[in-house]
Amino acid sequence: MPEPSRRSLLSPALWGGAAAAAGLALGALWMARRPPRRAREGMAPAARTAHGAAMERHLARRLDEAGTMLSLSVLADSAMEHYRGRFHDPFMYAAPAAAALSLARGGPGSGRRTAHGAAALTGAVGTGFHVYNVVARRESGLTWNSLFYGAPLGAPAALVLAGMAGLAAAQLRVEAREGEPASIAGAPAAPLVALGTALGLLGTTAEVALLHFRGAFQDPWMYVPVTLPPTAALALALTVLRPTPATIAAARRLLQATTAMGLAGAGFHAYGIHRNMGGWANWSQMLLQGPPLPAPPSFTGVALAGLGALDLMESER
Amino acid sequence: MSAEDTPRAVHGRAPDVFRRGGWVPMRCFDDEEEVDFAIVGTGAGGGTLAARLAEAGFSVVAFDVGAFYRPLEDFASDEREQSKLYWRDERVSGGEHPISLGSNNSGQSVGGSTVHFQMVTLRFRPEWFKARTKLGYGRDWPVGWREMWGYYAKAEAAMAISGPISYPWGPPRGRYPYRAHEVNAAGQVLVRGARAMGVAWAPTPLATISAPRGLAHPCVYRGFCKSGCSTNAKQSVLVTYIPRALKAGAEVRDLAMVGQIETDDAGRATGVVYYRDGRWRRQRARNVVAAGYSIETPRLLLNSATARFPDGLANSSGTVGTHLMVHSNHAVWGEMDEEIRWYKGPPSMAVCEHWNYEDQKDFHGGYAFMSQGPLPVDYAQSFVSNTGVWGMELRRRMANYNRMAGLKIVGETMPQEKNGVTLAEERDRFGLPVARVTFGYCDNDRRLYEHSLRFMRRMLKAAGAGDLFETESTAHLMGGCPMGFKPDDSVTDADGRTWDIDNLWICDGSLFPTAGGVNPSLTIVAMAERIADRIVALAGRGELERRGRRLGALAG
Ligand SMILES: Cc1cc2nc3c(=O)[nH]c(=O)nc-3n(C[C@H](O)[C@H](O)[C@H](O)COP(=O)(O)OP(=O)(O)OC[C@H]3O[C@@H](n4cnc5c(N)ncnc54)[C@H](O)[C@@H]3O)c2cc1C
Ligand code: SF4
Repeated sequence: MPEPSRRSLLSPALWGGAAAAAGLALGALWMARRPPRRAREGMAPAARTAHGAAMERHLARRLDEAGTMLSLSVLADSAMEHYRGRFHDPFMYAAPAAAALSLARGGPGSGRRTAHGAAALTGAVGTGFHVYNVVARRESGLTWNSLFYGAPLGAPAALVLAGMAGLAAAQLRVEAREGEPASIAGAPAAPLVALGTALGLLGTTAEVALLHFRGAFQDPWMYVPVTLPPTAALALALTVLRPTPATIAAARRLLQATTAMGLAGAGFHAYGIHRNMGGWANWSQMLLQGPPLPAPPSFTGVALAGLGALDLMESER
Repeated sequence: MSAEDTPRAVHGRAPDVFRRGGWVPMRCFDDEEEVDFAIVGTGAGGGTLAARLAEAGFSVVAFDVGAFYRPLEDFASDEREQSKLYWRDERVSGGEHPISLGSNNSGQSVGGSTVHFQMVTLRFRPEWFKARTKLGYGRDWPVGWREMWGYYAKAEAAMAISGPISYPWGPPRGRYPYRAHEVNAAGQVLVRGARAMGVAWAPTPLATISAPRGLAHPCVYRGFCKSGCSTNAKQSVLVTYIPRALKAGAEVRDLAMVGQIETDDAGRATGVVYYRDGRWRRQRARNVVAAGYSIETPRLLLNSATARFPDGLANSSGTVGTHLMVHSNHAVWGEMDEEIRWYKGPPSMAVCEHWNYEDQKDFHGGYAFMSQGPLPVDYAQSFVSNTGVWGMELRRRMANYNRMAGLKIVGETMPQEKNGVTLAEERDRFGLPVARVTFGYCDNDRRLYEHSLRFMRRMLKAAGAGDLFETESTAHLMGGCPMGFKPDDSVTDADGRTWDIDNLWICDGSLFPTAGGVNPSLTIVAMAERIADRIVALAGRGELERRGRRLGALAG
């Protein structure tokens, strides 16, 4: 493959458009997997119960998908970034290992929950390590330079989210009681997952905002992942306060867009890698030097959980 | 076809600096066609001005004796090969402290010295523009700092400077266009020292991009900057203003040595005589701009003497070729316990300007100092020539290359009349008298660098370095054709317009009345931006032509 400087460089808009289109298509495919039909007004009580159970299973599946997506993203991202850091600390193996374990979901029953729990715990401990790296291990202490280039503070949180999503799914299944509303650790499932998703989106946005700021927002498309997800998060939070058809529909559309954006983001980052010296022909270096290819789909993961919550919310109304 | 042998910018096209083997269209002018501006030199001053004037609609031809490179294909990762970027033509160096010329202070290529500069882009301290009235030394500049602050911002935007979010010294500045790079291990040594000594530090604002910019790739931290950046991350004039100039319709003539600026009987400039492709030619122009930097600009003015101007052009005050300044470049080096690998990344990633802004000291002027990362040949050369170490001991010391750290100053020297440029007997490959450069430090200069050595020694020790040693050298050139307030003690007015010949201009580092304690190129680019605005304004008022002739581009 010729180097980027030999190839004619398509305008970012064109690339962006292509990436967005591809992402949208993929996202749309995902969305097309419709949730079970809505409960209808005059449904017989038995049918309603069966429907509720189906919705619960649906949310659990969505949470699993969210966890899978997040674990995938963390697995690839942490493996690459920690490889770049030469795994100089043995603990650096923990992140990809935990993500892989959570992905494999450690077999049946309790094993699953152990795996997800371990992932969440690893993420939490990892955050501690990253804070230590940024604040204590740099000559300069906490400065913009260490925030930009030290271990990313928010990245391990994606592993926490992955683990939590898996745990929530497992818990949902355990607590499923016929005729009772879906719950996780005793709390109503839909609002809980909705709020968790909103928080996850805001956290992920914070991380992206920092890194895109480091990249000087050199491409206007870089503003999308710092504006769309927080808007979706707010819309989602609103559905918890006022679960009306209008708020739910708005939140759904924004979350669908976020899902697609996460996938398109990987396309944008692929284009970003191309813009580095040597581009894809020099992939072994530029995958590490360019924008992180596997990072953006974590938005997709988080948003999927939110979509599951909306489906449940709708059916419970 | 090598760039150094045959002109590349010919037949309506010029090299595309962003593509291997690529070309961009270029407007070409006939020698006989009287262009609005003939600009001699395409560096920080000339390249910037060429772009701005062409964008304003003037017809512009810019000459450079250097080659027109495509960094992606022409720059090797080889210090020796890359010495092709230096001004290697003959010059004579003399005085009390003869400065070494070439690699440290002047480049020769389209884009000028910015093609191999080290990308440090600092603003002047505001008071320096009024050095005489506010600080009691040197001369005042005929431009004020507030005006320059605006032009600094323009220059930084044009070169997409990567700089810190907040800068610890001086009045507030806007956000740098790109974020600062990660401070490398060599820079962290400065940081540790600064914290120990209780002085501020900052990631150095650098003219190399920390994220993509158009077709320019972001920096890959391979540290070859001084030898020419082969990724185009370095925002030299070659990859910033020159493409703009071409796009706006300027012609750039590479491998074109201007030997003389011609004047008519009325004492006005009429064009330039230049050597290209094996013969001497003549380009007619309504205005001529000298932008060959502090040695070549005075040399050209002196070489252009006529019966009417026997002491050289624009020299009725006798100040052409005087008040040449350098930056003292004294340094302290030491060995660290841990590996530093200082060659990684641009050479100066952390800076301390404490002594530029602190006035309790025993000397005038100031100095900035930065972390260091010389490539092996550069380092060995400086080490051997300063310490005389040789043989097995040199081998042992070089084996420690990866554990070395250093701090080096950019130290202001005073403008002295005796330091400057005259013509020597010797002639260069074009048959032109070469420049004789005379330089000597004054007491104040000595007090300044001795102060810096003491301070940096303590600081480097505090940062954990052992086996310290010092080196001395100089960098950068400033002055030589100072601008000023009056025709009797300066060469040009605030607009770079010579007092004596109203269609002869200067736009480069030779205009500096004082040197300042920071690297000069940002100030040169900012000044060129300002001069361009001034020329446009003057043209708008019909004041470019005092004798009734109007500028072609604006007459229509
Ligand atoms: C190794 C090195 C590192 C540096 N690092 C920094 C740094 O980190 N930060 C900083 O601010 N500055 C740095 N500088 C200084 C900076 O590059 C110069 O101050 C600046 O480029 C000078 O601008 P100028 O326009 O006056 O001249 P130049 O940029 O030197 O341009 C002059 C051009 O004119 C051409 N020329 C001269 N005479 C003729 C003629 N008669 N005919 C045709 N062409 C001619 C020359 O070939 C040259 O290309 C560095 C310089 C060097 C050499
Ligand atoms: S370190 Fe950066 S600026 Fe220097 S030569 Fe390499 S890519 Fe260019």
